[in-house]
Amino acid sequence: MDLTPRHEVEAPDELRQKMHRRRRRTVLVVALILVAAMAFITAQGLRNATLFFRNADEAVEQRAELGDRRFRIQGRVIPSTVKSESGVTTFEIVHDCAVVSIRHSSDPPELFNSPWIPVVLEGSWLIGEVRNVVGSDTHYFASDRMLVKHTNEYASANEQRLTGEPPEGFLDQCLFEVPAATS
Amino acid sequence: MSEVTTVVTGWGITFIIVATYSMWVVSRGKIIGQELGIGEMEQADPGKDADATTDL
Amino acid sequence: MTSTTRSNAKMTATPATRVLGVLAIAATALMAVLGLFISPADVIQGEAVRMLYLHVPSIWIAYGAFVLTSVSSILFLRARKRREDQGRHYDRLAGSAAEVGVVFTGITLITGMLWGKVTWGTYWQWDARLTTTILLFVTYLGYLALRRLPADPMVRSQRAAVMALISFINVPIVHYSVDWWRTLHQKASLSVGRRPEITGEMYWTLLYSTLAVTIVATWLMIHRYRVIRLEELRDEEALAALISSRLKNDDGSN
Repeated sequence: MDLTPRHEVEAPDELRQKMHRRRRRTVLVVALILVAAMAFITAQGLRNATLFFRNADEAVEQRAELGDRRFRIQGRVIPSTVKSESGVTTFEIVHDCAVVSIRHSSDPPELFNSPWIPVVLEGSWLIGEVRNVVGSDTHYFASDRMLVKHTNEYASANEQRLTGEPPEGFLDQCLFEVPAATS
Repeated sequence: MSEVTTVVTGWGITFIIVATYSMWVVSRGKIIGQELGIGEMEQADPGKDADATTDL
Repeated sequence: MTSTTRSNAKMTATPATRVLGVLAIAATALMAVLGLFISPADVIQGEAVRMLYLHVPSIWIAYGAFVLTSVSSILFLRARKRREDQGRHYDRLAGSAAEVGVVFTGITLITGMLWGKVTWGTYWQWDARLTTTILLFVTYLGYLALRRLPADPMVRSQRAAVMALISFINVPIVHYSVDWWRTLHQKASLSVGRRPEITGEMYWTLLYSTLAVTIVATWLMIHRYRVIRLEELRDEEALAALISSRLKNDDGSN
């Protein structure tokens, strides 16, 4: 049996070791970067992920302690309340029968126009008399950042039309009536 | 970005990633095979990579 | 070493994987036709819903690959002292599956960011699902780096196997993050015991895409496995050459 190498792979011992050392250092640097990345991600995650948003009803409940702090609020947009005027969009969101009036001051994402879409808004409470579908409120939520929180429901655009009706059972427990969308 | 642009970009990037990775894996196999002196069989193979056999 | 493994190692393509490769290309082409043209637009999301057929199958395949990595790592740790090949077969399987898993996690992240921009209105948010997914990506990158750290092959494989098992803890966390925490990310598209909230044509396109991506991933893993085998052969040969050159030197000096 022929045992001789078929080509030159003979590397002197020191050269091999040097190559190994260099490779080891590269891998260690990569590992260090990865560990740093993990630490950064975890820190970011702990800061933001644990309380990503408050639902509208919780935000109303915690209004006193929240004060003028920035936080995220989540609820479904009531279609008949959406009005847009000189860069400011006003509308109302509802979650668990708690209605919050919103004054949003940047361009909403495209999907915002879908009726009853759940949105996450970033901003804070401000004092101000507002009228809403329930009656009136002493505070409104001033927001400058909107994220559309789309759901995991998918339906063919060929078969279904958007009705403007709230999702099944969503307002069943509520003591107020929501006016139908005009458009 | 519009919906259509997003879809085209997403599918495009995905195909590029998968194709690049596939080619990297196959070529790495060929290179090491040749280094080891056991790649000749593949070069002589008229199957998949007929255009690679330039030295015949 | 048996003669069959030798002949397999000669090249990374065999008639079987060539058939699989052609099948993978055909399946992907059909997936593109179904996903991009045949399946309908969504009533809310419009055309953007077509990201679903890349994003969701990619992460399922990544989960599957990481399960394979973990199972193979356990089998390696059990077999390393018993089997004739010291369990190296399982180590190669773990390594190739992890790499394919990382590629598809990367695809999940990229397609997800693009999709997020058109639906949510942002590429990135540090919500629980997105945070745990990028952590998964980075952790398995670390696993792959560990596999490349020069060391005795068996020591290296043992370290990697332990790292693989630690890394896997995050997989169920990623999956259930949307139920455990409030996230911007939607709930799971399909889950056991829940009526799918997705219309028939989209549902079947999603399932078919998963099948197509599975074929592609299988082809990739088989080839990557064979390349790892070749890398091992190269290292063995280099070591053998080193030893023989040393022996020659010793002969000369004495």
